Amino acid sequence: MRTIDDFTRPLEYLSPLDDPLGKIVREWAEEHVIPYRRSFDEDWKDHELIEPAFKVLMGELGLQRVLFPEDLGGWGLGHSNYAGTASYRLMEEVARADSGMAVAFGVVFWPLVMICMEPHVNRTLCEEFAPIFCNTTEPRFAANAMTEPQGGADIENFEIVKGSTIRTTAVLDGDEWVINGHKLWPTNSGGVCNLFGVVCTTNPGSEDPNDFAFIFVPADTPGVTQGPPYEKAGMAADKNGDIWFENVRVPAHYRAHGPGLDLLYFKEVITFGNMGSIAFVGGAMMNVYERLYQFVSEETYRGRPLKEHDAVAGVLADIARDIDIIRIVGYQYARMIDRPDLYGPRWDDEMVAKGRAYKYWACDRAIEDLGKAMNLMSTYGADRDWDVEKHWRDLKIVQLWMGGKQLCQAEVARWFFECETL
Amino acid sequence: MGDSKLFPHPREWAGELESSLAETLERWAESELMAKRLELKESYADLLEPAMRKLFLEIGLQRLLWPEEHGGDGHNRPSAALTAASALEQVARGDVGIAFALACLFALQQSVAMEGSVKSEACEELSPLIGSNDKLALVAPVLPLFRERPQATAKAVRGGWSVEAVGARPAAFGGNASLFAVLCSLEGSDHEMGILAVPAEAKGVEKGDPLKRTGLAADVHCPVSFSRVRVPEALAVALGPEECRAFAAWLFLGISACCVGAMFSAFEILREWGDNRVIKGRDNVFKENPLTASVMAEVAKEVSLSRILTWNLARMISLPEVYGPAGSEDNLVTALMIAHQVAQSAERATHQAMEMMASAGYAKEWNLERYWRDVKTLQLALGPYELAKMDVSRRFYRAVTL
Repeated sequence: MRTIDDFTRPLEYLSPLDDPLGKIVREWAEEHVIPYRRSFDEDWKDHELIEPAFKVLMGELGLQRVLFPEDLGGWGLGHSNYAGTASYRLMEEVARADSGMAVAFGVVFWPLVMICMEPHVNRTLCEEFAPIFCNTTEPRFAANAMTEPQGGADIENFEIVKGSTIRTTAVLDGDEWVINGHKLWPTNSGGVCNLFGVVCTTNPGSEDPNDFAFIFVPADTPGVTQGPPYEKAGMAADKNGDIWFENVRVPAHYRAHGPGLDLLYFKEVITFGNMGSIAFVGGAMMNVYERLYQFVSEETYRGRPLKEHDAVAGVLADIARDIDIIRIVGYQYARMIDRPDLYGPRWDDEMVAKGRAYKYWACDRAIEDLGKAMNLMSTYGADRDWDVEKHWRDLKIVQLWMGGKQLCQAEVARWFFECETL
Repeated sequence: MGDSKLFPHPREWAGELESSLAETLERWAESELMAKRLELKESYADLLEPAMRKLFLEIGLQRLLWPEEHGGDGHNRPSAALTAASALEQVARGDVGIAFALACLFALQQSVAMEGSVKSEACEELSPLIGSNDKLALVAPVLPLFRERPQATAKAVRGGWSVEAVGARPAAFGGNASLFAVLCSLEGSDHEMGILAVPAEAKGVEKGDPLKRTGLAADVHCPVSFSRVRVPEALAVALGPEECRAFAAWLFLGISACCVGAMFSAFEILREWGDNRVIKGRDNVFKENPLTASVMAEVAKEVSLSRILTWNLARMISLPEVYGPAGSEDNLVTALMIAHQVAQSAERATHQAMEMMASAGYAKEWNLERYWRDVKTLQLALGPYELAKMDVSRRFYRAVTL
């Protein structure tokens, strides 16, 4: 019988951690997530079912430490030349079980990319924050506080707005930053965050890249308030909420890199976000394949399994085709991240634009395929028991986050066609 | 008030009844559902059931298509298809699941109560429920899955039928139905199939555990088994393929109209977003940006064309002297095509509206995502599109082995 491992990957450039990591996470998923995930939707607020699974994955198996240097208790992935392909496999396997867990887990590394990745490691901040994640067996969460109330993820539209719409301010007062502002929606907010990376401006309304600041703020710093989680269509494991920063004071060296470099390396965060999104889509779709395979083999039409009906088989073929191609493209992009010597810096506009293209293409294909899969399943397609509708709800969220499709389209057109006013 | 008047429909087919009913239902949707749902979310007990009781019993929609002589409002002519479509659009704007409940009831009522072919004994049997002032007439259709065999069998016994099915899946409302409309293969009858109205409290009806589902919160969904359930002969509400197809054609019309109503709401939510949401910095709102405006235009197009199609289907069903009986093979295929087309349009339109709203699109607070879940769940009641296309090919290409 065919399995998800029959979907194609570029075997010649998988990370050396691929097999052990994949095996560990798949076992974790089978034991700690898949048996419980149909009750996750009702657990969106309290995480009574979800939290224990995070504890095993992140704390006990230690996967929340992977990006930090070995001498600080990490696994050294930030110093490796396989951070992309290794983390792609991790995210794919977690998302096969639950893409909400995958994003919550993946976003732990999102702000840490700013300080843990070569060639721009900020050793001082690594030393400062490694204990939060490495000296515990409890799950610890980080979050990127970007989105703001008025323009949403429009602040990511750097080429046009150039940071001018950021309203969260950072003012240097002696040897401390004083931060004020209101953020919405970060993954791992809603009360669970331990460490925020906060997108700020040092000069409101300015389009000067030097005024873009990325500043770390431990969640227990006085003046930080996290609101309760929002209720969403899916992804119960990913908590999102409001965060208010009121005269929050952090040391001056908590700014990731300083004028100009903060914005430059922040684009790498977007690159990793795109790669992670493709992995979430690919992993979830592999589970859709597993569930759909079972369904169309068991259900019959005119005395034969549904999959043996020619017209149905045509749709099944389209779905399998898309999963295979999503996986190939996802690993290819991860490889591009691992080889800046061949493909250019991870923060380069080209890498960002290509990541956006792959991400929104993968999301579009997956949403269309999920709709068709549910349709083939007739009324069972809407049942929680078959899991497909869960992935449909979850992946719709992946499609919409990080500015949604239109921001992706603008960045892709801007780079490939050298548009000047988009 | 809503924006439904923006979307064209053939006005010459809508009479005074359709217009005044639409206005009443628009107000009902806003006061009984929209004004309360931020607080009550999708609570069946606190929001949906009270709203249904108001609609079905106080406003009296469960009596709308019922003959006057049996305690109804007497709008039981084929032209009621237009009345039904007009009403369902507005009800679905408030809640798609409640509208679908009404569509299922209308499909059953047309089976027994159409002027010229009123089945008086059936009406008498059903009037205590449908004419009731305190009992909700919720009908759960049990139709073939995968467009194949009926899920139930019925054997002719003295004075009626004995119905058997194990773990059958209703299209909706298995858990809260007061009546099942069960399409059965018939044994001991001249008819190969028929639809039997099975009271939910009948001996031998066993409802399974409720299932968690994507959408349609008004539908308490569960499998149901029928074990030697005795049904009086009069409750064979449709006998033979043509009458069964008429039930399906009305149900497909109902699904189309429900999808149109859902799109009205999605449009309204998106319009508000487009008026206020900024893109590319200050003073540039979504509706004024060419990229986002083009997506918003697609949504408006889907709503407009879906409404026109749905009203045309209602018109065809309302004029049997021109288009043949509702249950003709041609009309069923037309209804099936239009329902799939409109359901796919609703899926696309809600997808695109969500696309525009990014995180707010999937936040429950903004209410858009519930319409997206509802229209997808409703679409699944039509069965797989790939198999529906076999029916279309049989008709248009005279395929004989499909």
